[in-house]
Amino acid sequence: MTRSLPDQSLGPEWTILELLARGIIDDSEVQMVRDLLTTDTLKWGELLEQALRHKMFPMLAHQIMSASLRFDVPTNIYMHLESALEWNRWQIEVFRRETVRVAQALADRGIPFVVTKGMAFESTLYDSLGTRYMNDIDFMITPRDRDKVMTVMQELGFRPFVDWAKDARREEISSRLNPDHLPKLAREIDQPGIRLIDIDIANSLTWTKSPFDVPVEEALENPVAQPIPGMSGVSIPCFRPIYQFLFTVLHLFREAWLQKFVESGTDVGLMKFGDVIRLIDRNQNKLTDSELLRIMQTHGVTDAVAWVLRHMDETFHTHAVELLALEKHGNEKLLRSQMRSPGYVNAWSESMRGRLQSKSRGSVQPVAPAHRGS
Amino acid sequence: MDDITTQFEECLRRHLRSAKPNPINYDVELVQLGLDSMTAVAVLMDMEKTFGIRFPDDMLVEGTFRTAGRLKEAVQLLRERQAS
Repeated sequence: MTRSLPDQSLGPEWTILELLARGIIDDSEVQMVRDLLTTDTLKWGELLEQALRHKMFPMLAHQIMSASLRFDVPTNIYMHLESALEWNRWQIEVFRRETVRVAQALADRGIPFVVTKGMAFESTLYDSLGTRYMNDIDFMITPRDRDKVMTVMQELGFRPFVDWAKDARREEISSRLNPDHLPKLAREIDQPGIRLIDIDIANSLTWTKSPFDVPVEEALENPVAQPIPGMSGVSIPCFRPIYQFLFTVLHLFREAWLQKFVESGTDVGLMKFGDVIRLIDRNQNKLTDSELLRIMQTHGVTDAVAWVLRHMDETFHTHAVELLALEKHGNEKLLRSQMRSPGYVNAWSESMRGRLQSKSRGSVQPVAPAHRGS
Repeated sequence: MDDITTQFEECLRRHLRSAKPNPINYDVELVQLGLDSMTAVAVLMDMEKTFGIRFPDDMLVEGTFRTAGRLKEAVQLLRERQAS
């Protein structure tokens, strides 16, 4: 996708992260990032904090290393960034091995599944550079296989994450009330710098009681075998591009639109939008034919997808709505709304750009009284 | 109003913004009083702490707290089970 350079009204630190999130695509952007990183007014504290908040620390580190800015960055910061990038590469390596271990166990039992999110994107959208940060490894299964998968995971040494959670009972109740995922699972490992491997297994492309959904069974049909870097002949099943796009966008929608993620401080970040931009960039032909639109309309998710893409276009100067022919979808009311309780929609006026940059999103209040959503 | 009802309503009012200024209607869906997926967890945890009970897995479903009336019945049942 072509796009104009971002305006710098939110400061050089934010501009750098916006450029990195959407992906550097030409020499003018390379030069702009270089100029911003070497500007005298750059606040390193702010840049590093925002990079951490948006899980972009390794990406920032890689940009600085690859631009040969060794002597333009304060020495202590450079060394720390270098270590962080190396550590992220190591964690990805460990996660890859664990992903293959789990994937083989599920496949051996004939359970349909795909690997999603960070592990699926790291090699396809981020070129295996070790720049895509991930907290955990994500899988998608069908609801009917929940019990079977739980048994397999226990055999592989995983236990419910509540054993390590700050508030175990809260995790337990929350997991029971929201059966769109298995309880989060974890396994202790003996690797330098990594004590636990968390695995998150979803069985829905949306969430419990979502007013719309794409059936998981349909999305899991004809998965793509994605090679694992560094492991010759080994691959993992991932969604084919149309469903990869739908899941990624609907997942972003869930975290951005549901008030509970804002209140818990775990809502959308720059990198999630970066994933969507890269998915569109790399799969343009497959996403612009009529099949995607037909699937979206069949399952009633067109407005939710348009909501995400409109916010993305406004924030990153992309043209995704036009590219995917969604101009007539995602009306203004929906664009400015945010779900609090099922069936209730609160009006919400802040721009996505302002929201992403804000460090106190939970304090943002809706501007109009709640009303019954359509 | 008995002690249980007072404690029960205080517990709801601590979490449900629309329940605060008004008498609680036991037949209205709690969603209409401001219950969402996060406050549902908070309400159930608070009920467990306040009444010294524990919701078993089979009661951790939406039906248990669809209305204040349903939730109060569940709390009373668990208190009775515990007493016996």
